[in-house]
Amino acid sequence: MSAGVSVGRRTFLAGGAGAIFSTVLLPGGVAAAAQGRKRAYVVVVDGCKPEEITPTLTPTLAALRAGGLNHPQAHSMPVMETIPNHVMMMTGVRPDRSGVPANVIYDRGLGETRTLDQPSDLRAQTVIQRLNKAGFTTGTVLSKEYLYGIFGERATYRWEPAPVIPVSGHAPDLATMDATLAMVDEHDPNLVFVNLGDVDRVGHTDFTGALDARVARHAALASTDLQVSRLVDRLQSTGAWEHSLVVVLADHSMDWSPLHGTVSVGAALEADPLLAGRVAIAENGGAELLYWLGPARQRDEAVARMREAARSVDGVLHAHPRTKRFLRLGPEAGDVVLYCEQGRRFSEDPFSNPIPGNHGHPTTIPIPFFLTGGHARVPRGRSSSLQARTVDVAPTLSSFFGVGGPRGGYDGTNRLP
Amino acid sequence: MLPVLGQATARAAESGVFAHGVASGDPMPQRVLLWTRVTPTPAATPGSGKGPTVQVHWEVARDAGFRRVVRRGQVSTGPSRDHTVKVDVDGLEPATWYHYRFTSGGATSRTGRTRTAPARRATPDNLRFGVVSCANLQAGWFSAYRHLAARDDLHAVLHLGDYLYEYAPGEYGYGQSNEDIRPHQPAKEMVALGDYRQRHAQYKADPDLQELHAAYPFIVTWDDHEVTNDQWKDGAENHQPDTEGDYRRRRARAHRAYDEWMPVRMSGTADLRDGTRLFRRLRFGALAEISMLDLRTYRDEQADQTGVSDPERTITGTEQMRWLRDSLMRRGPQWKLVGNPVMIAPVNFATLPDELTGAVNDVTGLLPEDGVPYNTDQWDGYTTDRNKVLRHLLNHSVEDVVFVTGDIHSGWACELPKDASDYLYENPGRVTAGVEFVCSSVTSNNLKDITGDPTGVTSTAVEEGIKANNRHIRYLNFNDHGYSVLDLTPERAQMDWFVISDRADPDATVRWDASWVTRSGTSRIEPADSPVGGAR
Repeated sequence: MSAGVSVGRRTFLAGGAGAIFSTVLLPGGVAAAAQGRKRAYVVVVDGCKPEEITPTLTPTLAALRAGGLNHPQAHSMPVMETIPNHVMMMTGVRPDRSGVPANVIYDRGLGETRTLDQPSDLRAQTVIQRLNKAGFTTGTVLSKEYLYGIFGERATYRWEPAPVIPVSGHAPDLATMDATLAMVDEHDPNLVFVNLGDVDRVGHTDFTGALDARVARHAALASTDLQVSRLVDRLQSTGAWEHSLVVVLADHSMDWSPLHGTVSVGAALEADPLLAGRVAIAENGGAELLYWLGPARQRDEAVARMREAARSVDGVLHAHPRTKRFLRLGPEAGDVVLYCEQGRRFSEDPFSNPIPGNHGHPTTIPIPFFLTGGHARVPRGRSSSLQARTVDVAPTLSSFFGVGGPRGGYDGTNRLP
Repeated sequence: MLPVLGQATARAAESGVFAHGVASGDPMPQRVLLWTRVTPTPAATPGSGKGPTVQVHWEVARDAGFRRVVRRGQVSTGPSRDHTVKVDVDGLEPATWYHYRFTSGGATSRTGRTRTAPARRATPDNLRFGVVSCANLQAGWFSAYRHLAARDDLHAVLHLGDYLYEYAPGEYGYGQSNEDIRPHQPAKEMVALGDYRQRHAQYKADPDLQELHAAYPFIVTWDDHEVTNDQWKDGAENHQPDTEGDYRRRRARAHRAYDEWMPVRMSGTADLRDGTRLFRRLRFGALAEISMLDLRTYRDEQADQTGVSDPERTITGTEQMRWLRDSLMRRGPQWKLVGNPVMIAPVNFATLPDELTGAVNDVTGLLPEDGVPYNTDQWDGYTTDRNKVLRHLLNHSVEDVVFVTGDIHSGWACELPKDASDYLYENPGRVTAGVEFVCSSVTSNNLKDITGDPTGVTSTAVEEGIKANNRHIRYLNFNDHGYSVLDLTPERAQMDWFVISDRADPDATVRWDASWVTRSGTSRIEPADSPVGGAR
């Protein structure tokens, strides 16, 4: 997986705990300082299921949820993968406006599938940039290399994940939280966007079988909860909590499948003479994107045939035309979007996707989503029956800091009263 | 605060022009359906086909004194519709209490109270429903209705079916010997249109039921006894074509009488001529939507054990299944309630001793046939359809789905497991699709009544046996009659079970028995310490 970060006029700043941050210095060689006392922290517990937050397993998260404004109806958005949902959190717009519909797409220009980890892949403006423009400072502490890649140099302060675990491509939560606290101590940005990757990565990379994976996941949840408690303790001990909004959510949920639970549509596509050799597949765990490579005049027929072929395969839940309105996916997502059933995963060849934990399909839509923190605007001890979505984070931050949104408005909704 | 009832009547049924009381139902944000029946002349008795066409005036006010009347009008009724009146009042305010009454021929009805649903985008703090089913008039007094009516903290009443029973006196009454606490009228099994009308009229004359109808809007569905026992699309256990004629014709008469006599919009309207589609959705702002099912009209015949998983058999019918799956998508309100006439949770009765299942192999269908481990009249007898629903819920992770169920004359609280056979309640990672809360019967015989063991020891043993063999079932009460209260908030849904002291006693008292909660987003259940609104 290539990080491929374009290095501009970048300056490295050493943090107190040995963390290294990159930033762009202002004229005169000084780092930007936060504006006002308002602080916001967006903490993504990657891949967490809402029912996994319990007083016994995750006491910190459970207490934060109970003390703030909880949205029991909260949803990841298509495609229910890490990169598009982090992008939706920070842009407040759907993939048809951001250009980021999935983790992996087929790049028609390159003629191959690739991860959307380039800063230029993200076409919409982020709330990070809006805040910077309004004089606020921002920081990103993202545990995954591809997230670090796509958000690039947008934030005032960036942490490059390290040390990175080779198979998972992410930094452990301990290191991520060390870096978060160091960034808060040293630079105290108005907004810090944190991704904690352990819960997700344990779900993905455990090869030992579903039951053991669950045990490991519980250990990861407990340990991640401990890391969140370090942030809360720090904010409370410095008094920053009183001026803070803390948004806690996941980017998607998680579903486990047995070893034999794979779904492959390649053979069914190849069996159709129109489609044979003329469809590219971008695998995304519980979702797949199909791209028609033949002549444009045959696209409609090809879409119909791809859907028919895919639906004939056991384990395929839906085969949507990509243009279906509710998906809000742009042309980067190809022509047909496949979702698998609960308890299954896509795997187009014997070596792809052997991991039991997957997401991207509809069963992985529910996420935790709650607002907490000591700022006066944060409701205390309430739940809302209204639906919340990952795309609501940016408009909530916009409202909190009083900065405007994109032309045409946000696709998400501010969740602060 | 809720307004006090305009007219606190004593427990005497009304007589005269408005002898059958008043009712309301199917609340929407700006509409509610009002119902009454007039008896303009002594000869115009229910089912008689006699009596003149008359005008009936209605009015709806914000206050019980009718100083602030907001809507009024008049309709005509006559013998062709058994002198019933249904008015779908429009132009009301959402989430608002109203009072209504009828006048005809110089007589004025009692005052009823009703409430509209919250606006579509409203976020109410809570919703609270009374939940009832299975009221057999011959088996006892409707004290459960009276105690529910005495509460002042509900928004509506869900009636999950078996609102009335078809049997003749002596056929199905109180306990083992089928003693009639109150004999049915007419004194025969209802088969003809006039029979169904008279039986509806008898039930609507019950003072406890009248009290409940006057206090809250009803949201109803039917189960089998509104037509006849164990009905399916082309027949019923208690229908003998040789002597009772064509089943579909009998059912059409039953449906006609139901449409006339019940405060419900069939096929979406108050009109009696436009069909009898009963499955429908009612929305309560962003907090809840109720999908009321009809599990009798489209189902295939009950099968023996070998047929229960036949993919060709259905309990919902194709159109209703599509509609139900559409109801159970996440784009709608938070709590997705399903008004479900028969249990959907799998129940394996295999551990029960044969002599016990034999002893209770009663017309209730309460337990399965001798030697069959499932009650095949429930969703257990239609596993293909159940799998379609549960797989749909799991594939889309539809959250906060609560099946609210009647039919089985007992109280249950269950999780709906993905796979009951390897289900361990203690496993925090267990996969569930939703939960089910089943209310007890108002009067109809339960297991204790059928076994004739007044101590309840036998039925309690059965309860423990079933729970041990079905780990997803956490609460089971085969001993009592009563009602439930379902309270919804964004945090949780809670069902309280209340039981009455003795259905043979017209002045029966009530006590709280148990409460179970499902917290939002969990599809799990857990016990609660106390009922909402305090124990009574």
